Amino acid sequence: MSVLAPETQSGPPPIEVRGLRKVFRQATSGQSVIAIDRLDLAIAPRDVVAIVGQTGCGKSTFFDMLIGLEAPTEGSLRIGGKSPHDDFDYFRGRIATVFQQDRLLPWRTALDNAKLPLELIGMAEDEQNKRALAWLNRLGLGQFINAYPHELSGGMRQRVAIARAFAVQPDIMLADEAFGHLDEVTAGELRDTFLSLARESGSTAILITHQLEEAISVGDRIVVFGKSARLLADIHVAKWPKEQYALLREAIQSTLQNNAPDPRLTQV
Amino acid sequence: MAPDEYREPVPSFTFPRQTLVSLLVFAVFWEALSHLAPYLGIPPFAVPGLLKIARSIAAITPVDIVVTLARVVGALLASFVIGLALAMAMYRSEKLHNYLHPMVRILMAVPVVSWILFAVLWFPGVEFRIGFVLVVVCGPVFLIDTIDAMRGVPRELRQMMQSFRPTTYQFFVKLMLPAIVPTIFTSWKVNISLAIRVVTIAELVGAVTGIGHQLSVAQELFSVADVFAWTIVLVVLLFLLEGLLSRAEKRLLRWRP
Ligand SMILES: Nc1ncnc2c1ncn2[C@@H]1O[C@H](COP(=O)(O)OP(=O)(O)O)[C@@H](O)[C@H]1O
Ligand SMILES: [Mg+2]
Repeated sequence: MSVLAPETQSGPPPIEVRGLRKVFRQATSGQSVIAIDRLDLAIAPRDVVAIVGQTGCGKSTFFDMLIGLEAPTEGSLRIGGKSPHDDFDYFRGRIATVFQQDRLLPWRTALDNAKLPLELIGMAEDEQNKRALAWLNRLGLGQFINAYPHELSGGMRQRVAIARAFAVQPDIMLADEAFGHLDEVTAGELRDTFLSLARESGSTAILITHQLEEAISVGDRIVVFGKSARLLADIHVAKWPKEQYALLREAIQSTLQNNAPDPRLTQV
Repeated sequence: MAPDEYREPVPSFTFPRQTLVSLLVFAVFWEALSHLAPYLGIPPFAVPGLLKIARSIAAITPVDIVVTLARVVGALLASFVIGLALAMAMYRSEKLHNYLHPMVRILMAVPVVSWILFAVLWFPGVEFRIGFVLVVVCGPVFLIDTIDAMRGVPRELRQMMQSFRPTTYQFFVKLMLPAIVPTIFTSWKVNISLAIRVVTIAELVGAVTGIGHQLSVAQELFSVADVFAWTIVLVVLLFLLEGLLSRAEKRLLRWRP
């Protein structure tokens, strides 16, 4: 289907994070929380990266900065040399997001929800419909395009949210704990769909999770965050032989538990 | 977000048998009272018979209904536009919100009678006085309801919307306004019944047309039957307007579970 083909042949821009800090001042206590402390990270075009870390380690804060909803306190986060926060409008239609809950608009049907970002970029109406329909079909929702969110199951709603994100054919695709609230089978299915769509469409994908299994099933690259988003490990899974996966899993587990890199991770 | 957040009872417009029975019982009681009045020491004009009331109803001048209705609808539309515009400004500016919100609450505590007296003292034109009273009473209701609803739109939805980078216009038209439609309907229902009651009091003072004016004429003529007739008109008018609103609401809020 031609409407699903990526628009740009040049590929998505690289993501570069240098000395990134984010400090929140708590309104009530006046204390500051260092959510992200001097993070350095580079993500190449078309990388599919899982970021794993325990709850409260700063993942969502990093995510908000990737989207451009939060400004860095110090350091820089650049996508193709531009800041998603300062050059906010530049990234319209270039970054898309799947959130923890589906976050569909309850007054819009599945089709109209999937169309939302296309309306925002000012696409022609019939093109919007064609695109949104193609993606909903792709996600197996062809029968439900006129259903309201409350008429759909949790898994189906999240499918609509995925269709909505892919419909803009973004350079960067982000997912923050997007499957954690679903049952295991549905979550696994959706994650696989999400990843294969991301690979096919040629966008860079960053998937944030606190679940080790989810991070491992993503495959390409696993970034492990410690407290305050300290980079504990950056694992290129392809370098690990299949029979060592059990060891890898254990090593990441202990890295997360001890908030320090496990020495076994550097063996490979 | 729980879909329940948007749910509220839609007043049904059925006319059950019990309602008819109680109306009938009341009518019979009233008719009996009108015949017994002289023996009970009640002045005869105070309890007119049903026939007399029916004659008063037949004599109702539609132009007064139209005038009052026009005043109510016009003032409500003006109040709504002003309230919504101010609410949007207050949503965008925290400072404006913090200064204006308590002030509006104080305005809402001012009794209607005070507003009517202010209006009479301040403004010469009758129409302007009535309009002023209605807008100053109904506007704040729209404003407070709307701004509270806007601030109550779940952070998750606002963040989702922002992540797709809408213009300010798109943000309001595609997220904020549809999200507060249920509240807007509730607000309109409250304000319609408020406006119908306030407009008649405002019309009592100096108007030469309208239902309020006709009520004051009826009072000068000691015609309880006329007062009765016009009151019935007001009640029916309110029910009709509420019925119209409910239908529009059902149609616009189909998406609710
Ligand atoms: N807006 C905020 N104001 C104050 N503190 C915040 C804010 N957002 C996040 N934090 C704090 O920053 C830390 C990291 O939070 P978050 O990024 O949500 O973690 P994660 O997504 O990994 O669970 C937490 O201690 C959290 O309390
Ligand atoms: Mg989080």
